[in-house]
Amino acid sequence: MKTTDLKKLIVESLNTNSDSEEIAGKLEEEGVSFNFKKGFSDKVIDKIFSASLTVTRKIEFVKNMNYVFYRIALTGVAAIVILLISIYLMEGSVSINSFLGLGDAYDESIVCLLTGN
Amino acid sequence: MKESYRQTEDTDLVKASIEGDKIAFGEIVNRYQKMVARTVKGMLGDSVFAEDIGQEVFIKLYYSLSEFRGEAKLSTYIQKIAINLTLNEIKRRKRFFSMFSQKGNNEMYEYEVADFDSEEKREASEIVNKALMKLEPKFRIIVAMRMLQGYSTKETAEILDLPLGTVLSRLSRAQGQLKNILDKL
Repeated sequence: MKTTDLKKLIVESLNTNSDSEEIAGKLEEEGVSFNFKKGFSDKVIDKIFSASLTVTRKIEFVKNMNYVFYRIALTGVAAIVILLISIYLMEGSVSINSFLGLGDAYDESIVCLLTGN
Repeated sequence: MKESYRQTEDTDLVKASIEGDKIAFGEIVNRYQKMVARTVKGMLGDSVFAEDIGQEVFIKLYYSLSEFRGEAKLSTYIQKIAINLTLNEIKRRKRFFSMFSQKGNNEMYEYEVADFDSEEKREASEIVNKALMKLEPKFRIIVAMRMLQGYSTKETAEILDLPLGTVLSRLSRAQGQLKNILDKL
């Protein structure tokens, strides 16, 4: 097909009363065709299914992290409770001072301790 | 699991794909990749970027298959995804080139001349590509739907979610623009 005829066909394809399907077919015969490269389908499938595998692994990792966190958190809470009980038994209260080991210390003795006099 | 889905209806392919059947989804890709290529490459030019957007269309389709109710045709659903992703890419490029480039919008689109068995076909492809890339995106999409996909004005309006009147007026303006562009080529 001559270039002028091709240009005419392109413009005609936009007429509202033209058979667009037929013109699209004609243009394709003339070389106006769009395709993806070979192996397009395989690339898409690979991307999707390898991505799903990654997502599954991520979910498993998050689950494992949650499990580990709960184990550590529970042990930590138990240790804190034991510490508080032992402080109460030794100091007779659970104030901040007794928690810091300053329950029966006087201000002067602290100053002496810090200054060395 | 079925080994071949060539004769299978779209709705059954969708169901099988939702259950994770690779072969069924592969058949959907094979069935509609040409249609997606016409839209994406018609809008962005025949470039590597268009291939990436094409892949993205099917990836997005896979993850949204559970939302597909089957009220519209699968081809329409895929076409809408392709148009949205392509228009987003055009907007993204426009932003990028307006910030980082002095050369204007012409370099936003590029195409590689594929291998053709004759010089005439190569020339025809080049003319269409050049003409399309010089059109404004809102006209280009209408031309791609009509000229490359062969959709009627009613189908074009349905796919683009536009009133029929708007499609008709854009079609007429696109025809004028295209005629001027082609005269200069």
